[in-house]
Amino acid sequence: MLNIYQPQPVKIISSTQESADTRLLRLQFIDKKLQADFSFLPGQFVQIGLPEWGECPISICSSPYYSSRYFELTIRNVGALTNKLNSLREGDTVFIRGPYGNGFDVEKFRDLPLLLIGGGCGFVPLRSLVIDYIEERLPNAVLKIFYGCKDESTLLFKKEYAKWNRQAELNVILEKPSKQWAGAKGMITDLLSSKKITANSVAVLVGPPIMYHFVVKELKKKGLKDENIYLSLERKMYCGLGVCQHCAIGPYYVCKDGPIFTYADLKNIPGAI
Amino acid sequence: MNASPDLKPISNLLRLLAKDYFIFAPQKIGEIIKVAEIKSASDIDWSGQMPENPWKEIFLPPCERIFDLSGGIKESKKQYPKIAAVGMNVLDLKALALFDQVFGSDTYYRRRRNNTLIVGYSADWPIDYKKFKVFSHTYEEDILEHLSFDVFLAKLKNGKLKIYSGSEKGQNILEASGSKDYKHIEFAGPIQEKGVDKRVLKLQGVVWQSANNKIWDELGKICLACGKCSIVCPTCFCFDFKDNSDPNNNCRQRCWGNCFYNDFSLVAGGNKELDTIKKKIFFWYVHKFVRIPQEYGLPGCVSCNRCTHTCPVGIDIAKNIRRILKGNK
Repeated sequence: MLNIYQPQPVKIISSTQESADTRLLRLQFIDKKLQADFSFLPGQFVQIGLPEWGECPISICSSPYYSSRYFELTIRNVGALTNKLNSLREGDTVFIRGPYGNGFDVEKFRDLPLLLIGGGCGFVPLRSLVIDYIEERLPNAVLKIFYGCKDESTLLFKKEYAKWNRQAELNVILEKPSKQWAGAKGMITDLLSSKKITANSVAVLVGPPIMYHFVVKELKKKGLKDENIYLSLERKMYCGLGVCQHCAIGPYYVCKDGPIFTYADLKNIPGAI
Repeated sequence: MNASPDLKPISNLLRLLAKDYFIFAPQKIGEIIKVAEIKSASDIDWSGQMPENPWKEIFLPPCERIFDLSGGIKESKKQYPKIAAVGMNVLDLKALALFDQVFGSDTYYRRRRNNTLIVGYSADWPIDYKKFKVFSHTYEEDILEHLSFDVFLAKLKNGKLKIYSGSEKGQNILEASGSKDYKHIEFAGPIQEKGVDKRVLKLQGVVWQSANNKIWDELGKICLACGKCSIVCPTCFCFDFKDNSDPNNNCRQRCWGNCFYNDFSLVAGGNKELDTIKKKIFFWYVHKFVRIPQEYGLPGCVSCNRCTHTCPVGIDIAKNIRRILKGNK
């Protein structure tokens, strides 16, 4: 009988510093067949762990386009396990289960203007969609990226912006930038209110809970439908399969029914956002 | 009603079980009836009263080794003891039917469960049941085909036992014990033919709509969040994974969780979904009356009233549900 909790060993192909406390890990299953068969949707996550250090859920940030060769996770130092994972280097082994969760409704995104709105390290799963778009998996979409961060040192994926900008509209705003910063200064809602956004757009939000409250309000002002506003939730979870109960919100499990929900799904659940 | 039934027809069965199995059964310890391993068949309490503790430890141990962590992460190989759970009442069998659904694809649960023999027993309904019904049904034969058991013993008014088998394993052991006078009941799945129980569906809607009912503020003030209700609840099954780094015993364990404890929803960075007692207790009721019915079509509360009896501040689930039902009329 298949053991649903059995993690598989994966090798770190590269580990690069993204910001002061965050690293980008490129990973490959040691079992070549597992890697060749590996597939996921943007927005899905894996449980990554180490023996004696436990497991934690991390969103996949690479595109399914490369899933048969490798996948990538961006990990921020927030606890014992993430610190340990970020201390590892090329050639080291970690353990993975998944992918889990529903992922983004990529089919629905194809023909509608798409707004990707990320706050802080919440931007991570959106990168998967950006690369997907760039690899022309979302050929007709109009893509606008809105990315809000505290300052320059916390911005992720800086090396990729030039490429993104060629095929999408990238807007970055910083809350407390240095004097050298020539771009926009303020909150992500400032960025949104100043841009033309059509009411038929689909918006995907990933960031801290406080951001959701204000961004949803702004998007509603622009006339977006509740079912076209997608949000990714973060909750504590162990199993990833809707059993252990830690990630339950109202009638849903974030690990199984989410982590991506529409605002229509969540607006009547107390405490969900 | 509490007199022991005539046990003669099952004396051979009990002897056989004692030979092959560790027997767990309700037994009277002082004034309390507890489910525990028995030394002799005469220890079994046949009063039909609700044992103080649930049976779930047999199927989902409070802490269980699931992976060995030396040289990778490898499934722990272990022997699962042969256990006979003797005297599980209908409400506890309802809870077991739910566990069978929840843990249907769980290696550890399946192996343990396959090594268990279930002997159900009924001697009238438990006293509290008449005051608090989460699901509606008539008598045994109607409900038995939706419960998973190997043997079932129903005490009749004249003190005799009516014997049923509910599986091949049950038939085999009854045959081996020389019992001929039993009726076989084919398991027809946990949900009745007519669909999800109406009472369960009604409570699902009403409890979910009660988020703004002031009952939750009141309960939030008196509940101590001690978590005892969750420990004795036969349908509470949440768990944590814990890695043990002791070099002589490094392993990944699965241990019971408890949604009343502070680390239950705590994420890195300090955010906590359940940051007040009011939210915790509402979460617990939503698990029982909303999420479980929605996901499995089964009641997430089997109306055993163990939580009421164990609560140190007298929170009474039956009263609360009655109040919520009234408040939403």
